Amino acid sequence: MRATLARMQTRLHDTPHLLRLGRLFSETVLLEVDGAEFYLTFRDGRLEGIAEGPSRKTPWRFAFRTDADALAQFWQPIPKPGFHDLFGLVKIGRGRIDGDILALVKNLRFFKEFMALARDTTGAEELA
Amino acid sequence: MSFEPIIGRYLTVMVQGRRQRIYVETAGQGVPVLCLHTAGADTRQWRHILNDAGLTAAYQFFAFDMPWHGKSLPPEGFEAEEYLLTTDAYMETVLAVVRALGLDRPILAGCSMGGRIALQLAARHPQTFSGFIAIEASDFQAAWYDIDWFHRPDAHGGEMGAALVSANISPHAPKAERWNTLWMFMQSGPGVFRGDLSFYTKDDSLIARLGQIDTAKTPVHLLVGAYDLTCTPEDARRTAAAIPGATCTVMDDLGHFPMSEHPAGFRPFFADALARMKEASHV
Repeated sequence: MRATLARMQTRLHDTPHLLRLGRLFSETVLLEVDGAEFYLTFRDGRLEGIAEGPSRKTPWRFAFRTDADALAQFWQPIPKPGFHDLFGLVKIGRGRIDGDILALVKNLRFFKEFMALARDTTGAEELA
Repeated sequence: MSFEPIIGRYLTVMVQGRRQRIYVETAGQGVPVLCLHTAGADTRQWRHILNDAGLTAAYQFFAFDMPWHGKSLPPEGFEAEEYLLTTDAYMETVLAVVRALGLDRPILAGCSMGGRIALQLAARHPQTFSGFIAIEASDFQAAWYDIDWFHRPDAHGGEMGAALVSANISPHAPKAERWNTLWMFMQSGPGVFRGDLSFYTKDDSLIARLGQIDTAKTPVHLLVGAYDLTCTPEDARRTAAAIPGATCTVMDDLGHFPMSEHPAGFRPFFADALARMKEASHV
């Protein structure tokens, strides 16, 4: 997971339109996968830090909790129904959003596209 | 110069005592079909169907922007009111447009909230139409989001709405059409998507009316995309099951905006639905 997040970080920093979309996004997001915690600290749209938990003292604005299999399916080039979007994972009971959901919604396109950066879109249409 | 065959014009109707200037597009000749767009969008969602020579050879399509949407203006005095669409206002708008256009029992095809109102009209004003194609339509859908997110002074409702509804677009959709579909939501006027969603997520009056629909007189066919998170295939099947004689087809590779997000994928399903209406009206 750590390597995947590092790859997403590189892709984010190589994607000008995402940096522009996230230029006002400076928050820490908790990504929890099978109970393992990853604190993603964004500053002005760049992913400045990836810190592994567990931690009881790291503040975060919102959290996205899921499982590794669901995330692997989300990252398929053509995901199955329900696995094709973060809100889809929530709807089918494979994801959960906690914290300041409005902060997520205000930056929804940015965060969704960031989370999709691990998707191999070779030969497939790019998703949002 | 090569214009598309779509012609756009304006007409003014009275709805609930208020003047509404409505933008209408039309193309084709033959059996009239009135097309309704989804919440937070406009007639552009139907442009691929209206530009389809294979369909316009046998059907005359009409699509209009609801008041507050697209090129239809909001009514006079809108600046001091909260836009909240209601079932009655929506039905009266559709009926007023049918009258103004002089349509003789058109087929009514609506998507999402347009599909919901098509089913309401099937229950309450069936004599005005010859059949109903309800796309991504269900009896009732409680919101899985807070509709107030989409109208606030500190954020752009259109951009947030587009980011939300992208969840309902299939990964099979061509990239260009995915983004054309989202652009309409980005352009939606302040509070309009919220006002549409108020109708869509709070009025459950259709549930009790589904059994009143007489498909022997006016056929009802539902189409639903497998990637639709808002109106899932389960929702559409449940709705169809409550209407005696209604039929339902699941479109495996499509989402909530099929005619807009994936025109080529939607076309055969829509052609099949139109054929079902035509066959039934000739029985």
